[in-house]
Amino acid sequence: MAVLKTFLYLVVYPGLLFLFVYATFVEWFDRKVYARLQNRMGPTHTGRAGILQPIADFVKLMAKEDVVPDLADKKLFSALPVVGLAIVITAGLLLPVWHIDPAVSGPISFPGDVIVLLYLLSLPTLVLFLAGWSSTNAFSIIGGTRTLTMLFGYEVPLFLAVLSPAVLAGSWRLAEIAAFYRAHPLLILPNLIGFGVALVAVQAKLERTPFDIPHAETEIVGGTFTEYSGKKLAFFRLMADIELVVSAGLLATVFLGGFGGGFIFAFVQFILKTLAVVFLLSTLRAVTGRIRVDQVVTFAWKWLAPLAVLQLLIVILIKGFAL
Amino acid sequence: MKIAAFLPELLRHLFKKPATIDYPFKKIPVPKGFRGTPFLHSEICIVCKACERDCPAEAIEITSVNEAEKRFRMVIHNDRCIHCAQCVDSCPTVPVKAMEMDSLHEIAGFDRHDMKKSWEYIRALPKRPAPAAPAAPAQPAAEATEKAGA
Amino acid sequence: MKFNIPIGPQHPALKEPISIRLTVEGEVIRDADLRLGYNHRGLEKLAEEKSWIQNIYLTERICGICSHSHATCFVQGAEKLLEIEPPRRGIYLRYLVSELERIHSHLLWLGVAGHEAGFDTFFMYTWRDREVVMDLLEMISGNRVHYAINTLGGVRRDLDESLRKKILEGLAVLKTRSEYYYKIGAMEPTFIGRLAGVGRLTKQQAMDFCAVGPMARASGVDRDVRKNDPHTFYNEVEFDIATADTCDVLGRTVVRIKELFESYKICEQILHKLPDGPVAVKAPRKAKPNEVVSRYEAPRGENIHYIVSNGSEKPERLKVRAPTLANYPATVEILKHGFIADIPLIFAAIDPCICCAERSVELIDSRSGEERTLRFSDLRRMANERARILPLQRNVAWPF
Repeated sequence: MAVLKTFLYLVVYPGLLFLFVYATFVEWFDRKVYARLQNRMGPTHTGRAGILQPIADFVKLMAKEDVVPDLADKKLFSALPVVGLAIVITAGLLLPVWHIDPAVSGPISFPGDVIVLLYLLSLPTLVLFLAGWSSTNAFSIIGGTRTLTMLFGYEVPLFLAVLSPAVLAGSWRLAEIAAFYRAHPLLILPNLIGFGVALVAVQAKLERTPFDIPHAETEIVGGTFTEYSGKKLAFFRLMADIELVVSAGLLATVFLGGFGGGFIFAFVQFILKTLAVVFLLSTLRAVTGRIRVDQVVTFAWKWLAPLAVLQLLIVILIKGFAL
Repeated sequence: MKIAAFLPELLRHLFKKPATIDYPFKKIPVPKGFRGTPFLHSEICIVCKACERDCPAEAIEITSVNEAEKRFRMVIHNDRCIHCAQCVDSCPTVPVKAMEMDSLHEIAGFDRHDMKKSWEYIRALPKRPAPAAPAAPAQPAAEATEKAGA
Repeated sequence: MKFNIPIGPQHPALKEPISIRLTVEGEVIRDADLRLGYNHRGLEKLAEEKSWIQNIYLTERICGICSHSHATCFVQGAEKLLEIEPPRRGIYLRYLVSELERIHSHLLWLGVAGHEAGFDTFFMYTWRDREVVMDLLEMISGNRVHYAINTLGGVRRDLDESLRKKILEGLAVLKTRSEYYYKIGAMEPTFIGRLAGVGRLTKQQAMDFCAVGPMARASGVDRDVRKNDPHTFYNEVEFDIATADTCDVLGRTVVRIKELFESYKICEQILHKLPDGPVAVKAPRKAKPNEVVSRYEAPRGENIHYIVSNGSEKPERLKVRAPTLANYPATVEILKHGFIADIPLIFAAIDPCICCAERSVELIDSRSGEERTLRFSDLRRMANERARILPLQRNVAWPF
């Protein structure tokens, strides 16, 4: 039974299959919201209201010719998309979506999993940098360096913002943090600053406008992905989509009280909360223009980092005096 | 300076009807007087060749099929046509112009040679019904012959 | 670490082929070089093979966005050569289309600027509103892009009362939208942050490099053919030259939005003062031997056509100086010391119409060959001097 459950967990829910389907759905949702905010239609034809469009795009890319540049480090170049995809799916497994007994520690829920999840989410950035670097294309290299430069900006604020609720909850385990906030819903409010900081930082991590600098098409063509095509590009795109889901799931777990209750209820909560986060991210994407890479770093250290520290301070004060 | 000044405008549009339409399935009608594709009323054409002469894209070709019968063939090369409607302006026939534009505008094809349109017809005699008109048809015809002579 | 980055001939930021070679250090551009000639179409030679009336449609196809500018510029000159004077109503309608085209072109540019700045929402909204003016143009002329409203001796179509009302309504809509964008543009921080201080071109530089159009006007040079050389009709309407003195891409944006308002003003005046009468006179087919230079303020700047007639049905020579070409020297200069991230913006800010300029490449090469030595040394000296006197741009520091 336990083997079957683990198998289900890995392959079906919330593993490979669910993440794939849900990631494409979230991409559709993101595109649709983005389009509607811009008074456009968005995808309309593949499936009902274009819901299958991301899958169609994926299949199309899988069928396309796969070109590896002659000068590229071929092994690294080919391995990176798979590695990136594997990393984000692993990160997805750590989300406490299945009903987990907070008392029992296991391979998918253990004290410190929030840290592991955060670091797993940092790895794709490195993968993108290596992808840019190994393509040996001028545009890719610039894209890669921009990815790393941005990392210095948003990473620390993101960690501080996500860890503050954990400090308040007094646990390094996602399931426990979520359970704590479900038990004390009012304590979600002091974390609002952190939520805002984390939203912006996640936007930067996902390289979406206004932080889509590493693949700003009008400046450096495809940026990191310039040389990628076919299956590898499809994997990278899927990676970005799953990363979006996992990041939204992380924010929903840490800031919005996670997904409690029975299996069905938890599932519905997961969908609703992640979609709410994705909606906020899409709106942020629609409402801003791209900024420059130096502006990202300035912005992150001038605004995000102090706000994140402020959040930590608030949390510590509350913990010291109120609880 | 305000953060996200665009936001109210965006949210207002979230539940509004999109400004775009579902193009190949729904279409916007073209306005009156749209310059679509040229076509010929072959029963009126007096073969003055003014359209052939003035066409900037050399898309109109008038050839003689049978001199004795005064049969002519006009070919409009829609692959070359730039839809300027100068042929309509140049056409001297009254009261109805022999050349006209319809509203057809989705005229892409796989082979440019399939995009030709041709008419074979007997030359109509220049009509002289209107009192002020007689000079109009005669003059371009004269010019055409002049050009043929030169 | 120095890189050579080729921007173009094929690049997503460029809708048309042109090559910019850049030497960059990190994100900072150290040197720039512009190469033309990827899209030479031989239009000037072709014009010598076509009759006057055919050439209207040919010149119209020099550019897809400012098609009416080239056609009007040619027709103005050709009418002088053919010694005909179009009737008042014809002239009013011709310049009505001119101003509507300016509106469409500037709205298009605003959208492109938004896109280049990575602000796609702005792009979508301006282009949606641009549809209003496109539809008006379609109703007036029968087509959305190549209006073909000009003919020798006037215009080809008249305007009826219902259409006149529709245009006024459309202008009212556009006016409120433009006011909104003017306000938004001043308030959206990511947008302003990207535009301000980018691509500085001082007033002196703008004059030295003979910049034209909004490029010059944003540097405080009030140069506008409509005002400085008011041909046929522009002295009968009231409008101001829109200028800005910020000398950067933000200024160029502001100038274009202001020009939108001026164009609305002109269009309304035209529609209210529209004289009665015919719209065209009959034109002869042949022109006496003569030559003429025709100037026209296109949306991108001053457009010049030089036409020579030789007594036949066809022009002897047609020389076109598109506004984009006049702005290239200034562009190369302001690209230096910018950021890679700013290239699309700087380049877009001249509203480049590459194909328009391409067809005159041959002549430029042979003519400016001798000038280049002289001009280039001046250019060098100035650039050095500027680098010595002025500190580098505020944001140049690389964050590493």
